[in-house]
Amino acid sequence: MSDAHAEELLSAYLEGELDESRAAEVGRHLASCPNCRLLVESMKDAREALGALPEVEPSPALLQRLYAIPEKKRFRLVPDFLLRPSLQPLFAGATVLLVFISFLAFSSGGRTFKKSINRQLHVGYSKAEKLYAKAGSLTDEMGSYKETILGTLKNVKLLKKRGEEKIKTHGG
Amino acid sequence: MLVNAYSKKVFNLAYHFSGSAQEAEDMTQEIFLKLFGSLQKYDFTRNFTAWLLTLSKHYLIDEYRRTKWERTQRDEFNDRVIAQNAFSGPERSAVREENKKLVWESLDRLSPEIRMTVILRDIQGRTYEEIAESLGLPVGTIKSRVNRGRLQLARVLKGRQGEWA
Repeated sequence: MSDAHAEELLSAYLEGELDESRAAEVGRHLASCPNCRLLVESMKDAREALGALPEVEPSPALLQRLYAIPEKKRFRLVPDFLLRPSLQPLFAGATVLLVFISFLAFSSGGRTFKKSINRQLHVGYSKAEKLYAKAGSLTDEMGSYKETILGTLKNVKLLKKRGEEKIKTHGG
Repeated sequence: MLVNAYSKKVFNLAYHFSGSAQEAEDMTQEIFLKLFGSLQKYDFTRNFTAWLLTLSKHYLIDEYRRTKWERTQRDEFNDRVIAQNAFSGPERSAVREENKKLVWESLDRLSPEIRMTVILRDIQGRTYEEIAESLGLPVGTIKSRVNRGRLQLARVLKGRQGEWA
């Protein structure tokens, strides 16, 4: 039996929950392994120490606070589910959003901010329109260059053909 | 009355779990607030103590996770625990007192789930079946958690014994 396997069974061994053969197996391992023997002794000590930790009496002040709870509950204005810690980030986010919206809607600074955002949007839009128009004219120019090049190529071909014909007639 | 019947149990669970009497008082109050707030949801076919234990365990572990970065150390062992125990019987040996102190301080090293099962089993003396019902887990899982917790605590004691040897 390995140390790790013996360790898994130590609580059950101490509490007498193992069947006879398994308990004997753990016993044999403990007899031959000083490390596990020390560990099981320490586990006994730990259990004894835990069991000896005393119960503590709640203070009278705490008891008074507890006796007062049912009355408080009756007058509680906010339902419990709204006070769950998991909802706190949601409330924090909503608060930030509301503050931002009210800043935009009601403060003079907010109005200026809104105007500057509108202005920036318009400037951006007109720049995009100009770019689009420039791109259109560039496409047209490219088209005309293409036609010129194609015409030139045709002329070159014709000239070449005529040249060949002349050579043939002179040669013949 | 619920406060009379259960305040000590809940307070001790919170105290052993958090290690701070001040925190345990606040936690006990919160648990009772939750208890009174959800009494109408209580299913009368269920064991009330197990139901309260489930509610307490959920609150304590959630609270521990939420505030673990702000938490203070466990109370000094001598401050409260020994003072209470001084009237409970004859003086124990120095080694036993030292073991208690070490175990008390080392409870914080256990993960919240393992610490909760060790407290319920070895401090409160509940059966594995009761713990499994309260925590809504299989008995095998509870046994394994208790064993892991005990092993961690045993290693602390073993280490100290090694220092003495």
